[in-house]
Amino acid sequence: MSGPKDPADVVIVGSGAGGAPLAARLAQAGLSVVVLEAGRAFSPLDHVPDELAADIYWMEERLSGGADPTAFGANNSGMGVGGSTLHWGAFCPRPDKRDLMLRSETGQGEDWPISHDELISYVDAVERFVGVSGPARYPWDADRRYELPAVARNAPAEAMARGCERLGITATDAPAALVSRDRVQPHWGRRHACINCGTCHQGCRTAAKASTDTTWLPLAVAHGAEVRAESRVIDIERDHAGRVTGVVYDRGGERLRQGCGALFLCAGGIETPRLLLNLGLANSSGQVGRNFMAHVATQVWGRFDAEMRMNRGYPSSLITEDMVRAENAGHAGGYLIQSLGVMPVTLAANLARGAGLWGAPLVAMINDYNRLGGIGINGECLPSEDNRLTLAEETDAFGLRKARINFSYGPNEQAIDLHARRTMTAIWEAAGARDILAVARSAHTIGTCRMGRDGDRAVVDADGRSFDIENLFVCDNSIFPSALAANPALTIMALSLRTADRFLASRG
Amino acid sequence: MASLYFLHALGGSAREWDRVVAALSDDFDCIPLDLPGFGGSADAASDVTGLVDWFAAEVGRRQPQSWAVIGHSMGGKIATLAAARARGGDPSFAGLAAVVLLAASPPAPEPMAEDRRAKMIGWCAGGGIGTADAEAFIDANTAASLSGPDRAQAIADVERSGCAAWTAWLERGSREDWRSEAGIIALPALIVAGGEDGDLGVEAQRRLNLPHYRDARVEVVDGAAHLLPYERHAEVAALIRDHVAPAFARALPASFAALLASDRVSRRARAAMMDRHAAPDAAGTLSTAQRATLVALIETLLPGAVDAPDLARRIDASLAEGRGDGWRLADLPADALAWQWGLDTLEAQTLGFASASAARREEALRAIGEDSGEDGGGEALIERRHMRLWFAEARAEVARQWVALPATMARIGYDGFAVGGDDMPLPGYRLTAANTREPWQSPLGAPA
Repeated sequence: MSGPKDPADVVIVGSGAGGAPLAARLAQAGLSVVVLEAGRAFSPLDHVPDELAADIYWMEERLSGGADPTAFGANNSGMGVGGSTLHWGAFCPRPDKRDLMLRSETGQGEDWPISHDELISYVDAVERFVGVSGPARYPWDADRRYELPAVARNAPAEAMARGCERLGITATDAPAALVSRDRVQPHWGRRHACINCGTCHQGCRTAAKASTDTTWLPLAVAHGAEVRAESRVIDIERDHAGRVTGVVYDRGGERLRQGCGALFLCAGGIETPRLLLNLGLANSSGQVGRNFMAHVATQVWGRFDAEMRMNRGYPSSLITEDMVRAENAGHAGGYLIQSLGVMPVTLAANLARGAGLWGAPLVAMINDYNRLGGIGINGECLPSEDNRLTLAEETDAFGLRKARINFSYGPNEQAIDLHARRTMTAIWEAAGARDILAVARSAHTIGTCRMGRDGDRAVVDADGRSFDIENLFVCDNSIFPSALAANPALTIMALSLRTADRFLASRG
Repeated sequence: MASLYFLHALGGSAREWDRVVAALSDDFDCIPLDLPGFGGSADAASDVTGLVDWFAAEVGRRQPQSWAVIGHSMGGKIATLAAARARGGDPSFAGLAAVVLLAASPPAPEPMAEDRRAKMIGWCAGGGIGTADAEAFIDANTAASLSGPDRAQAIADVERSGCAAWTAWLERGSREDWRSEAGIIALPALIVAGGEDGDLGVEAQRRLNLPHYRDARVEVVDGAAHLLPYERHAEVAALIRDHVAPAFARALPASFAALLASDRVSRRARAAMMDRHAAPDAAGTLSTAQRATLVALIETLLPGAVDAPDLARRIDASLAEGRGDGWRLADLPADALAWQWGLDTLEAQTLGFASASAARREEALRAIGEDSGEDGGGEALIERRHMRLWFAEARAEVARQWVALPATMARIGYDGFAVGGDDMPLPGYRLTAANTREPWQSPLGAPA
């Protein structure tokens, strides 16, 4: 295999769930591919199970506004070869068919311009490639099968199972994109079975968890792709016709250029629109940065008589999809509930910020860390005119303006939050928890470059192609027209494979 | 009982510490060592790496859970480089709590006139150091001549120095440049200089040793030269005691320290936790008054649960460093400014938060947290809204930095950092169900 070409057929900005699968598929198809990643490369044993020392997050400052400002950094933003899959929770429910047609169903939100059947065919391909552990029977989808047996339940999962059973709510082992027994990953090697260490969010040290650096990127590299770490794209070059001809990136203070035939922005729901807005590109619709969405991610915590030690085990080992469409819900869409093991620093900060806890009650709660357990949701968020990413006056170290994200719950998010608090409190009471309290929280960075059929209402078409620039594509969570109740990474990877196929088809 | 390891000077031996150890041995487990080739031990030509490796083996053999190192002259270079290895998570040096340097050789090449170096190397030309040379060496390194048995013992130790070890230090070890490896060390250090010392006097100590420590103090012993353990044993013992006692007082509980030192913990995790356990950088951005308000705020947010001035220093240091968490509230200015403003406003609104009673402080914070922001208007309304936002941030940051402290992890019985060392396979947890613990964890029913 020869070295990278300049221009390469394709440059991909970002090596996470959006960029890596398509890098692999395009390289497999014989295209020359260069992936530019702002962060550094890790090997699994580099990761450190310490919440402050873990260095896999995008820690450059973003400005968070609105009535319900969302947290960035370790909450939802990754950096490094692997992107946010380095820290993701690997919790991988599939996108629900009804969620893709929310507007048709409820008159609210947006329909996706892709059919559920087609999306699921790609979801299936992703699951088969990365390996997913899950229950033998999935109660909400009779036909579904998972390759690997479910990982061990931890104490909060057992508590949630108990509480749900008493309330007549169906719950089961969560589908998790990690391997519950050793599995050889093509072109990478042996991914060791999950050791229940509980540090998924600080980076998986055994490669049990699927991150793109141990799955898709090795496949891409085996087919000739080049992944350039610590390479921060700061400019996009175009010819007189407006087509992209290459990118300018910073590597260790040096400005370098890489030419390309087509450019894929896969830098996530914040950095992708921030780059486009800074450069004034692909925004004839005025939609870049609009409709920012974050999942309603309310948590409920309580004390148990038993010693839980919830940092042990896969953190989200139980799921219920019963609330994806709750009866008489009073809101559009719905939410998933998962059991929660959360490490102490994150928990303390969330209790202090999101539950308003301080003084003796905070100290007593943290002193009882080993007896705490939680459950949380991932709930639909409707696109809204009011929720928007814009550029702040302040600039970053590269002279690009920082992102400012305004986010406020609308009536639907508030209704979901309220419903979820009631439901989860009931589950936790039934499970035997005491001193129950709720933590307000939102998660994930979605929308901001949405896809659609109409170039006046969307930034990219259903294939991820910019309506304005024929050889510019976006593939990450910024193209989601609506949030979906399912956590986004599995869907992003599926879209990534689909985007690759559509791109290859368009080349004839 | 905490341990003190003593590393002697070139030409010395464990015996140079006899009187210092006598003054300290009731309270500490004192372990004076003979460096390879000295004090009658087998002669060996060691470079600095060899000396630090030898020390790692000595410490590793006893596995003390909480200990300090006292390095004199040549021993000081070994002490500093041991502390640097501890910073990197070397398990042999886990539990190191403090460093004392006496007239210490620095990580940089030791300042020494070349003719003197050549002369001292020449003393070994005949295969051993003669009495006259040994006498000259001891007398040149003391401000006033040692008397009686001390002088005889010091001279005898020089005479029995192995020539391979002696020459290796002068030709190589003292010349090796370890500045970048030493870096900046977080452990509390006491740097002692003899007022009458020559090349390794107070100027050299400030210039060559002090920059390697984040939390260091220089003490000058007037009227003494280089052989401080002989010349001023009582004063040296008192300085050591005063320096190590507070460091040991804040040492992690023995079982936690042992777990942290074990092969269940990776070097990176151990290094991060040991660095955090050490004192924070002295840098700060808050005024004295703001710092006092912050201490009062922490006392109110975490009553009785933390050393509030220490946590305030940590928060101030991270503000000064500009080390954020990836975002900030758009309505507030940059973190350091927001904290300065918030603390000033809290102080003013409460008419003296720092000096207020605990009840009054709680009342003030409750008022901020529960302010619905509906009534009033204009500037005052904006200020109240901003205070509510800042208070939420302040709560979260105080909680975050508190729980991240290894001392807090020990307090709550958290062991999630001990899930794997540096080599596969990693142990993780075998048991995940409620009311189960593994043999390496403290037994169920015991305090966490």
